[in-house]
Amino acid sequence: MAEEIYQLSATEISSRLAAGKLTSRAVVEALIARYHQLNKKIGAFTSLDEKDVLAQADASDARRKTGKVLSPLDGIPVAIKENIAVKGQPLTCSSKMLANLVSPYDAHVVEALKSAGAIIYGRLNMDEFAMGSSTENSAIQKTFNPWDLARIPGGSSGGSAASLASGLVPLALGSDTGGSIRQPASHCGIVGMKPTYGLVSRFGLVAFASSLDQIGPMARTVADCELLLKVLATPDARDMTCFDSTQRSQLPVATEKSLRIGIPKGVLGKGVGAEVAAATQAAIDFYKSKGATIIEVDLPSSELAVPTYYVVATAEASSNLARYDGVRYGHRSSNAKTPIEMMTNSRSEGFGPEVKRRILLGTFVLSAGYADAYYVRALRARSKIRAEHLAALEKVDMILSPTVPTPAFKVGEKVSDPLQLYLEDIFTIPANLAGLPALSVPCGKSGHLPVGFHLVGAPLSESKLFAAAQLFESAHSFANQQPTL
Amino acid sequence: MAKGLDIDHLAKLARLNLTADEKVLYSNQLTQVLTYFETLAKADLPAVSDVAMVVSEKALRSDEPGMSLGSDAVTKIAPASHDGQISVPRVVDDES
Amino acid sequence: MSNEWEIVIGLEVHVQLHTRSKVFASSSWGFGKEPNEQVDPVVLGLPGTLPVVNREAVEKAILFGLVVDAEIPEQCAWDRKNYFYPDNPKNYQLTQKDFPVTMGGKVEIELPGAARNIMGEHKWIRIHHAHLEEDVGKLSHSGSGSLVDYNRAGVPLLEIVTEPDLRSSAEAAAFLNALVVKLTQAGVADCDMEKGQLRCDANVSVRRMGDIQLGTRTETKNLNSISGVRDCIIYESKRQIAQIEAGNKITQETRGWNAEMSRGYVLRDKEDAHDYRYFPDPDIPTLKISRETVNRLQKLVPEAPFDRQRRYIEKLNLPYTAASVLIADKALADWFETAVAAHPTNAAGIANWAANDLLRELSAQSGAEIGSDETPAVKISLDSCLIKPAQLAGLVKLTDEGVISKQQAKEVFTEMFKTGKDALAIVEAKGLRQNSDTGELEKIVAEVIADPAVAKSIAEYRAGNEKAINALKGPIMKRTQGKANPVMIDQLLRKLLG
Repeated sequence: MAEEIYQLSATEISSRLAAGKLTSRAVVEALIARYHQLNKKIGAFTSLDEKDVLAQADASDARRKTGKVLSPLDGIPVAIKENIAVKGQPLTCSSKMLANLVSPYDAHVVEALKSAGAIIYGRLNMDEFAMGSSTENSAIQKTFNPWDLARIPGGSSGGSAASLASGLVPLALGSDTGGSIRQPASHCGIVGMKPTYGLVSRFGLVAFASSLDQIGPMARTVADCELLLKVLATPDARDMTCFDSTQRSQLPVATEKSLRIGIPKGVLGKGVGAEVAAATQAAIDFYKSKGATIIEVDLPSSELAVPTYYVVATAEASSNLARYDGVRYGHRSSNAKTPIEMMTNSRSEGFGPEVKRRILLGTFVLSAGYADAYYVRALRARSKIRAEHLAALEKVDMILSPTVPTPAFKVGEKVSDPLQLYLEDIFTIPANLAGLPALSVPCGKSGHLPVGFHLVGAPLSESKLFAAAQLFESAHSFANQQPTL
Repeated sequence: MAKGLDIDHLAKLARLNLTADEKVLYSNQLTQVLTYFETLAKADLPAVSDVAMVVSEKALRSDEPGMSLGSDAVTKIAPASHDGQISVPRVVDDES
Repeated sequence: MSNEWEIVIGLEVHVQLHTRSKVFASSSWGFGKEPNEQVDPVVLGLPGTLPVVNREAVEKAILFGLVVDAEIPEQCAWDRKNYFYPDNPKNYQLTQKDFPVTMGGKVEIELPGAARNIMGEHKWIRIHHAHLEEDVGKLSHSGSGSLVDYNRAGVPLLEIVTEPDLRSSAEAAAFLNALVVKLTQAGVADCDMEKGQLRCDANVSVRRMGDIQLGTRTETKNLNSISGVRDCIIYESKRQIAQIEAGNKITQETRGWNAEMSRGYVLRDKEDAHDYRYFPDPDIPTLKISRETVNRLQKLVPEAPFDRQRRYIEKLNLPYTAASVLIADKALADWFETAVAAHPTNAAGIANWAANDLLRELSAQSGAEIGSDETPAVKISLDSCLIKPAQLAGLVKLTDEGVISKQQAKEVFTEMFKTGKDALAIVEAKGLRQNSDTGELEKIVAEVIADPAVAKSIAEYRAGNEKAINALKGPIMKRTQGKANPVMIDQLLRKLLG
């Protein structure tokens, strides 16, 4: 074979497994070898149980021999972000608070992957409790951008994106609350999707902001991403916000000629790097050349998106993280004289600065005397943002923008300026606030650093987005790229 | 400091210990962030939020008892336990 | 209590609903299990877990609303009440602040009458609302530490909040009794206070009679018996009156009740700032309550106990005491009505047996005590009762027809309870038919009158001592092997003695 196994897409691995040209064991052995070679340098995985994954691979090969293949994903490794519960494995969320927690149960998506025969392959580094845009907030280890090891991979699903870009795994799960799948996907030159809110069960996803969080697929090609989403997106009665079986019909795909793409007014203007703007413009021009109609859309409430997001997300987070108190599980401080003292000390020792900052902010916007000015207003702003997007998506099939204004910054560059970091999410946040599906697709470079463009669609338009992304990907050579490491 | 931002009060509500330096740092950072949120205060917004999901009774769970973890599993995860219960430092008596 | 003061009371009653699994988690619950055996990842608040609302809990809450004539809204929703405490697994409690499952409603209460057999005044107590929330775990103390058991965490609680319509400890007790009867008869809750299934917070304030403004109120939490509620209200109202008369203001505070020492005390704050930062729970969508469900549950609403009592007194001519006892137990009242259907002409007679002898025997069998304020609804089981309603009707019929005397009927009843045999069969087997042969009896009466041994009694009777006549009845009964019809004996004696 001309390519190395670690360079293959999941779709390619799947067809070679089916054709008997490859065994799952061979795939896993190759990836383990690369893990030993590179993980120290990249820092993507926080743990990998080699014995366990080889056993899973052997089980898959045995199934294939007896003709009992479970799905196209059978025998293919999928790495899991460390805020998604895998029974018997650490669920640290890259925090000291949960450093010793081994999950006694599987998340819905993990059950779905197991039923499909996929190999649950290791735990991936992240920003602590998914709070951050660089993975620098991990309390466990650092993760570096495979395209430039002096730079961040993005966050909070930095481990997921880096593992794919460095060929350590063909598929990965991430989670996205304000852009945590899409932004690292853009920074690492891979494909990442945040599904419609409610499409993928959150049961087993450690909650950051419940009304914004979604688990999503990450991969090196559009087809791989879509393949993975199909397995994840099934009903789950254990999550009341997850669509039941009657609520999942996808919108029909648009043809090239009938495709209408909305470009927000001034989206390539202030704050966007020149090369990012150029790469995004090239994508717009490509669709135009294929017969799509390009329409300018006006989303005036977008300037409210970042403050609205940070009020809502931190408010929900301050409540979701209250359970971490050292009483029932996780880190417990010693030498406290009363339970309150013990809880306070445990939390103070267990949480990093960004987590504490967001908990304090969230507590403030919910507190007596301020909840009306902040939290209640933010919910109303959220309504407005959603309404504007839905109105625009009546006139266009999807809205296109850069995923991130500027490419991956240097490690340590933005650590002391939280507000600067929050502004990284300016293009990704509205999709979370509005509950809409959104996809980041590699579209070029800024110097040597990957750039991605961003598509947002109406609820349940994942197929439409994937089709448009596939159209772009097939005509370019940005897919399935890895730097030489 | 931003209007109304009482970092000591917030730390107490959130059960967090802050060093003197942390108090200054977080106060300043939060103030900066809250100032940025002024756009929210000035914006023209609809009267009510309609973002809440609504479900029918179909989404409710039937009253069938499910599996329990078992007290062994519970005490195994717990930092400290005694005779099947989770131990914590002595709760201060309510009776004054 | 002096007439110049009025006591104003509102109650918040926490009732554990009768379900098999918890309200937001599917683990089972129930009294008496080993610690932490009824805990699953959702109850424990493990990372990544989510609440799912129990349909049965919602329906029981709606049923309660229908039982008290509350309004059932089109939608209801849940909120988070945020505070830290070791018994609170998520450090927030899921409750309903703005959109509870029932709004309004009223409960009819009956106050004690002038005597036990006189019906007291009836009054309506308004319900403000009821909301569905989760219970917390149990803290206990051991030596130098404390222990937490989460079996109770997540149990469905219906919090029923009254308007401040109660005006005395007696009214509060009457309200709780009436509430328990309604809840148990509709199958909404078991209300076993010994198992902690019903707890009460009492909001008490006082004001001078005639004042429109409410006084400052205090809240005493976690009262777990009806006598506790009663004693606490008496204590707290006395304390507040004494404070005001001494020139002091009442502090709005949360208090606890020490039942052993019968006194209240100020609770140290659990959560200093009392800022619960309520916000709508994002994991539980707003729930639409269909009118189909409401209509279906409406059919399960039993006859209101005091409506039944009125019907018994007015239509069936039962005395108040019997009616009052019967309505307290729906199964017994239903049983009684089946018996009446078999012998409609003497409902009062059947009621007398059911409310006294039957109830006494069933209570003894189940080991429960009657007449205790702590268990207003006597726990008896009719399932294992060997007497069927028609059989009791048959017994009453026999006494009505004069086949046996009331005295003999007691003997027959005891046998019926033990064996489940028909009254008539027992009468025949024991040869208990009373002797109502006038001719034969008159002969015996005359013989006894003639006996010099009773001459003194006859003289006393003729002199005006009514009771003296009873001395002659014994010998008559002896001569008839106890089978003489006592009514007839009495009539014959009076006739022959003049």
